[in-house]
Amino acid sequence: MTTRRSLIRNWAALPALAALGLAFPAAAQNPTEVKVGLLVPLSGLYARPGQVMKMGAEMAIEHINAQGGIKALGGAKLKLVLLDSGDTVEKAKNAAQRMVAQETDLVAASGAYLSSFTLAATEVTERASLPLLTLSYSDLITDRGFKYVFQTSATAASQAEQCLPEVMKVAEKATGIRPKTVAIITDNTGASVASVKPMRERLLKEHGLTLVVDETFTPPLSDATPLVQKVRATRPDLLFFLPTVISDGKLILEKMNEFGLGQARIPTISFGIAIAEPEILRTMGADMLQGVMTCVGSWGSKGHEPLIAELKTKYGEPWMTQNGISTYADMWVVAAALEKAGKADKEAVAQALRTLDLGPSKYYPGGLIKFDEKGRRVNAGLTIVQWQNGVPNTVFPPDLAVSQAVWSKK
Amino acid sequence: MTAQMIENILQALAAGLLAGAIYGLMCVGLGLIFGVMRVINFAHGDFMMLGMYAAWFLFGALGIQAVAGSLIGPYIAILLAGPLLFLFGYVVHKALISRVTGTRTAQLDGEGHYAQLILTLGIALVLQNGGMIVFGSELHSIRTPLSSSAWELGPVWGDFISIFVNKSRGIAALFSIATIVVLALMIARSRLGKSLRAAADNPEAATYMGIDVDQAHRIAFALGVGITAIAGGLLATNYPFQPYIGLEYVIVMYAGVVLGGMGSIVGAFWGGMTIGLVQQLSTLILPTQLQNAAIFVVFLLIVFLRPQGFFGRVVERT
Repeated sequence: MTTRRSLIRNWAALPALAALGLAFPAAAQNPTEVKVGLLVPLSGLYARPGQVMKMGAEMAIEHINAQGGIKALGGAKLKLVLLDSGDTVEKAKNAAQRMVAQETDLVAASGAYLSSFTLAATEVTERASLPLLTLSYSDLITDRGFKYVFQTSATAASQAEQCLPEVMKVAEKATGIRPKTVAIITDNTGASVASVKPMRERLLKEHGLTLVVDETFTPPLSDATPLVQKVRATRPDLLFFLPTVISDGKLILEKMNEFGLGQARIPTISFGIAIAEPEILRTMGADMLQGVMTCVGSWGSKGHEPLIAELKTKYGEPWMTQNGISTYADMWVVAAALEKAGKADKEAVAQALRTLDLGPSKYYPGGLIKFDEKGRRVNAGLTIVQWQNGVPNTVFPPDLAVSQAVWSKK
Repeated sequence: MTAQMIENILQALAAGLLAGAIYGLMCVGLGLIFGVMRVINFAHGDFMMLGMYAAWFLFGALGIQAVAGSLIGPYIAILLAGPLLFLFGYVVHKALISRVTGTRTAQLDGEGHYAQLILTLGIALVLQNGGMIVFGSELHSIRTPLSSSAWELGPVWGDFISIFVNKSRGIAALFSIATIVVLALMIARSRLGKSLRAAADNPEAATYMGIDVDQAHRIAFALGVGITAIAGGLLATNYPFQPYIGLEYVIVMYAGVVLGGMGSIVGAFWGGMTIGLVQQLSTLILPTQLQNAAIFVVFLLIVFLRPQGFFGRVVERT
């Protein structure tokens, strides 16, 4: 279906012919540009991740357009439409409403960073039949029976399930004994809550782990003393620490160091990207991050070197986090869906996404570029990243790993 | 009570006192402005943000770190950021705030307040988004090894009960107390302090006595901004910041000022201190995610039981 705006634009470009009343179906069906939305936080506490997502999207669109745009639409160029989801669920929902009301010719969108934001934004995009790709983790995003949301990361529960056995292996290898006790310190955002839920319910038990500290906090923390004091009092064999805000990562890790628990004395495993962002290294020493691991939906790893190098020269980013690479990949998936759909229409693109099957994924870890009936990427894997000498290196899965996981014995 | 419980309580108490001292200093800056000028300054958190960036720039880009090192350098930068923001506050008052405050608008009453609210909210928006354009969204912090090391007090009982006092927070607490003592002495003893008090108590009578009330207001505003900038700098030694950090703290500042008693500078400090203590001690009995909710429960209780705050005056000012 051709939107009213693109029709007007095409006719406006051909006034003389329009005046003659001639019909140009090819021109009407092939717009010169196709708009893709990017609904991410560009202000407030989460502005930085949003900026990196924007970098990933811009790079992808540049590459797609340089390679001739959408061929099925006569080489139409992709155009990014930015929307600021702000720093609260309410603002994210409002931005989504603005997006569907004002940008009626969008064919798809990507967003909205935090699972909590994505949950709210998809309530709006679903009703507007706008397909939305997301890197957010919460299982709930694709558990609500929605038809227009496509989750490219492994869900939080699936990540916890994939991550735990690997972490146990590394811990056992490093210390010689299998960990028995574990502490959980998590914030209460959607992805963290969803990651911790299956751990509390069954995964810890299945791995013979006893939960000795279980603390949930509201980000951002102002001081980490009470939380770390509880860890100090119980001395667990492992700490699962799930922050979403970088400042919380810094406060907890520095406090661990201050209390003599840092630098892998208590092996620390995170979920998500916050703990491995370049910013965290800007605010604290590399020695305090050494050995900290995180299980994350995707990461710039082996095989992505040219892309990482381009990001570095173009934007000065030292490495490619999930925010960059996942959003980069999203744009390629939208482009592929447009090629399959053969028209710049959100309904057709959604249908194309549902039936897309492009084989193994290049930029997301593991699995296929194919979505199941819930909208989850089939067999989506994850990456485990570990801080080693001031760089977060991919250590799992083996085909993406750039180094081995280690924990210093202390 | 086990040794572990005693340690948990003492550790939370120490954390509360250290956090409270910085909150107290922030609140004093805001309390001074409200106390003298009766201006509700919504941009105060953002002036603090500017103070953080000023200290960070002075420390890093302007070479204080290279000259004085990472231990003393941050504190020199913070002490310089104070006067810098004092000047900024002075200019902002002269150019903007003075148009909706002071003797000229004293008669406007309600109207004056609306204009103040909208103006300071506007300044807050400009500073936040201007900060985003100028400084970017990256997190920064004034990096010092002190932020991840502590003085260990103890063990006081056998091998048990050690209290860790974070070095950067400990020094920040000492700095804030010193700043408040200097401010209190200045207000109580100096001629400038007398003119501030006079302008606060009765602007009209102060004018008749030959005091330049607008100038007194300007100095109070600039002082308030400068003090909060110092608090921001002290906070920045162990807390990373970005242009929107003011939003996280402005509510705490207001709660502190109201708790202490609107208009009381000493009260503002104790209000901030109470917030720090409630925030940290509440984690002993409540889930951690309720620590900020606990602040407002205590806040509501105090507003209900003692509406004038700890140090507030019951009578309306003349």
